Amino acid sequence: MKAVFIVYGQSLTQPIENLLNKLEIRGFTRWEETHGRGSVLGEPHYGTHAWPSKNGSILTMIDEQKAEILINALTRLNQKTEQQGLRAFVWDAALGI
Amino acid sequence: MKIYESAVRKPVSTILIFIGAIVLGVFSLNRLSIDLYPDIELPMLSVITSYAGASAADIEQNITRRLENSLNTVSNLKKITSRSQDNMSVVILQFEWGSNLDEASNDIRDVLGRIETYLPENADKPMLIKFSTSMMPIMYLYATANESYNGLYKLLDEKLANPLNRINGVGAVSISGAPKREVQVNVNPQKIEAYNLTVEQIGQIIAQENNNIPAGSMDIGSERYAIRIEGEFSQSEHIRNVVVANYGGREIRVSDVATVTDTIKKKTVEEKINGRTGVRIIIQKQSGANSVEIANEIKRQLPELMKTLPPDIQIGTLFDTSTYITGSINSLTETVMYAFLFVVLVVLFFLGRWRATIIIALTIPVSLIAGFIYLMFTGGTVNIVSLSSLSIAIGMVVDDAIVVLENIVKHIERGARPKDAAVYGTNEVWLAVIATTLTVVAVFLPLTMVGGIAGIMFKQLGWIVSIVIVVSTVAAITMTPMLTAQMLRFRASHTYKGMGIIFKPIDKFLDHLDNFYARMVSWTVTHRTMTILGAFLIFLISLFLLTKVPSEFFPQSDNGQVNASLELPVTANLEQTTSIAHRLERTFVEKCPEIKIISVSSGADDQAGFAALFGNSGTNAISFMIVLHDIKERKANHQRGMEEIGEVMRQEIAKLPEVVKFKVSPGGGGGAGMMGGSSTVDVNIFGYDFDQTTAIANELAAKMRTIKGARDVSISREEMRMGLQIDFDREKLATFGITTATAATFVRNRINGMLASLYREDGEEYDIVVRYDEPYRESIEDIQNIVLYNAQGRAIRLSEVASVVERFTPPKIEREDRQRVVTVSTALSGAALGEVAAAAQKEIDKLVVPAGVDVAMSGSVKEQKESFSDLFTLLILIIILVYIVMATQFESFKMPFIIMLSVPFAFTGVFLALWVTNIPLSMIALIVSIMLVGIVVKNGIVIVDFTNLQRERGLPLNEAVITAGKSRLRPVLMTSLTTILGMIPLAIGGGEGSEIWRPMGIAIVGGLTFSTILTLLVIPAVYSAFNSDKISTERAANRIDV
Repeated sequence: MKAVFIVYGQSLTQPIENLLNKLEIRGFTRWEETHGRGSVLGEPHYGTHAWPSKNGSILTMIDEQKAEILINALTRLNQKTEQQGLRAFVWDAALGI
Repeated sequence: MKIYESAVRKPVSTILIFIGAIVLGVFSLNRLSIDLYPDIELPMLSVITSYAGASAADIEQNITRRLENSLNTVSNLKKITSRSQDNMSVVILQFEWGSNLDEASNDIRDVLGRIETYLPENADKPMLIKFSTSMMPIMYLYATANESYNGLYKLLDEKLANPLNRINGVGAVSISGAPKREVQVNVNPQKIEAYNLTVEQIGQIIAQENNNIPAGSMDIGSERYAIRIEGEFSQSEHIRNVVVANYGGREIRVSDVATVTDTIKKKTVEEKINGRTGVRIIIQKQSGANSVEIANEIKRQLPELMKTLPPDIQIGTLFDTSTYITGSINSLTETVMYAFLFVVLVVLFFLGRWRATIIIALTIPVSLIAGFIYLMFTGGTVNIVSLSSLSIAIGMVVDDAIVVLENIVKHIERGARPKDAAVYGTNEVWLAVIATTLTVVAVFLPLTMVGGIAGIMFKQLGWIVSIVIVVSTVAAITMTPMLTAQMLRFRASHTYKGMGIIFKPIDKFLDHLDNFYARMVSWTVTHRTMTILGAFLIFLISLFLLTKVPSEFFPQSDNGQVNASLELPVTANLEQTTSIAHRLERTFVEKCPEIKIISVSSGADDQAGFAALFGNSGTNAISFMIVLHDIKERKANHQRGMEEIGEVMRQEIAKLPEVVKFKVSPGGGGGAGMMGGSSTVDVNIFGYDFDQTTAIANELAAKMRTIKGARDVSISREEMRMGLQIDFDREKLATFGITTATAATFVRNRINGMLASLYREDGEEYDIVVRYDEPYRESIEDIQNIVLYNAQGRAIRLSEVASVVERFTPPKIEREDRQRVVTVSTALSGAALGEVAAAAQKEIDKLVVPAGVDVAMSGSVKEQKESFSDLFTLLILIIILVYIVMATQFESFKMPFIIMLSVPFAFTGVFLALWVTNIPLSMIALIVSIMLVGIVVKNGIVIVDFTNLQRERGLPLNEAVITAGKSRLRPVLMTSLTTILGMIPLAIGGGEGSEIWRPMGIAIVGGLTFSTILTLLVIPAVYSAFNSDKISTERAANRIDV
């Protein structure tokens, strides 16, 4: 099982939710408003006067195959809307209860 | 869910809510009536008391002073003036504008109730009369006739006045100058003396003969019959045959001692319209009725009514307030439409996208319509003030929508779906948008609190602009994101395809402009001192300019109306007055081809209502009403304006030595509303002693005549009038057993005539008047020869008991604020109020005033001073409010100060624009300067806010200033240009009434243009001077060294 953490510009909230639905990923946890900045490019997303844009974040635990499909889909989305800012991180995970 | 999010997610509800608002607005607009100005209630009440037989001085002492002292306690009272003349006292109470007059009249009634017992016993009860603008005639018609002239009154009364009176809202229709029928019994005094008859006896016999008396009823068989004695004259000739006495067995008939003529009354007024004899029909409206509706209805009915009149009677409109009102409103509506067009073009120019432009343009009708809804709910009208407000607002309502739209577009360009972009884009800016709206509201809302006449005028403006701006903000954060989400699609950059090709050069030009401006800013921030000093110098120069700009209270407008009133010496009779009136009429028509209708009335008619109440009533008065051709027509033919024509008339009148006093009022003075007419400079001379004050008034008047721009200088106190006075010797009267009252009645019946009875014909009644025949009442001897009879029937000649002398009658006594006053007033021509007032003040200072006499300015000058100082207080208040709003927005004391530096340049621009266009500084220009405070700081806010943002993003000071300037140039130019171009139609003017709003347009255009340019250059320099690149202590403390 893999943990996938997706951070995205707030405007991508709806497209990403649609994507999860399409891939039949039922379980996830979402933070509607998170702040941060990218390691390489792009503007900070602070929700302040100077940097008004904000992020949203999703953490989901899925099968390995599904994770691969998801990452591919996210990559395509990111290529289409590069300026919005989209990152996903994957690591191993196990079910607790 | 936030309001903008709901709006984007529920487009149907949003659209329908706005459509609902528009429907309500259009519905309101249809129900609104049109008027020239907002409803102004003249805050005046007057108390009229008559006391028969008392002289002016007695009236002053016993009635006027007592009334004044008691009435002075009424609250909200501003000024108390009075006029004491023979037999009558008139006290006029003037209240603060906007006072509740119902309350005031209750207070006054209380006071009158208390004081009544202290007034002389024979004095009548004081009457309280309320002035109202509805007393102003809304329309004058004229009727001219040839053959039907003698019957004109009856014809017009039945066939015109009565039907017109039935129109909803018409208050009164009065006919002035129409001949009235009268049966005259002109007695030959020598003949009646011979038969031992008196005028009274003849009158009584005629009255007793002219009677219908029911004598009961009687049953004859089974029928009941009424018994009537019909003694009334069926023909006026029958009066001749009435037997008045038996003398030596012979019957003496009326025809033996008198001539009976059924003729028209001796006229006291003569009306000529375009040289033909005729009458004037004066139409007044009911209080609260709408002038335009009434006038339209009258004009609709007139052709029908004219068909019922004989063909030689011609009826036309002499003066109609509604044409001027509709003309003004139409031309102002036109300018609002142009403003709309200009604003849309500016938006299209800068955005370069059709769809975006449509989205922005839609906020205009939605917001403006809120203004109409407000007007309907408060019972307002569509008038000059409400329309100008819309015109001012039109350029500002798009600002918020533009900011929101730009930010959404930014998100879309970054690849967000339009719906998400709309929500998150709005989320980022909506608070800032509300804050800028608050600064505008902080300026316009206090306008609703100004006192005085300015308050009445600008209350509507304040409310309308505030409401419209607030609604535009609501639309900007709901409707704009919703429409953007629905209509805009992602497009990386302009494709310049099809029609879009025209945007290519525009974009190029704007890019060049951006770069050029960036270079300018980088120069100014490196030459800060020079820039700031230079700007300061410009401001100082403009203050100097201010001294060159004349000032006036309210702009005058050319409504194509010139009125003039003239007075001949009191002794002039109607024939003399008429001949002079004729002579002048011919000269005017000859010298001024601009005249369309000229109506002159000589003498005064007691039936004429309003005019007689305030005007001079006497056979020596002439009044002209002149209607000029339409202003557009006059401009097209290069003809003169009303002021110039008034000037020609003044010169012509001045040539006549017979005229003792005259006043020419271009604009009609009052008829077209309070502000339509001319302002006057009034100087009050207070003092008890008549001779002293009259002397000073004469001296001052002579000096004021020399002032440039002063016209028609007049003194309110009339000259002493010559009159005949009969002094009865009471002791002699007593020996014959006659009282003064009986003797006086005898004289009155012989000279003025005795109303014996009424002659009835066709349901109308005509007076039967018995008096001496005209040849026997033409000299002092005729009065002396009058025979009085005592109770025993003994005849006594008047010369035995009285002497007839020529004597000056004392003038009316005028008082203001409980002191006797004489007013020297002057109208203006070709000079502003302020200039003439200043010159008059100089003359006043030079006067040597004895103790107990005071000289002070009053009239428009006083009102102007009061209003100006009110406005100055308002300006301070508004600056403080705006500062507070901005300081909370930036959470800083410094930033609002930097922004506020653009305010002085707005004033500079206003002065400069007025100076260049040669328009005097009026109340309107001042109000505009105040409004500009709110409009110009918007630019400053945009620049400073964005510079702050750049600094927060970590740019060094000067770089931040330059980057911010470059990126905010377009929004600043766009919002300024929408307002400036929106006002340009107003500034160019041209239509009817444009004189009133042109100063407004010019001042806004000038002020905003100038301040925008200087703001763009100076604010960056000041910002860079007031901030430093050093890291703040707070930030330094937070720094962690690694």
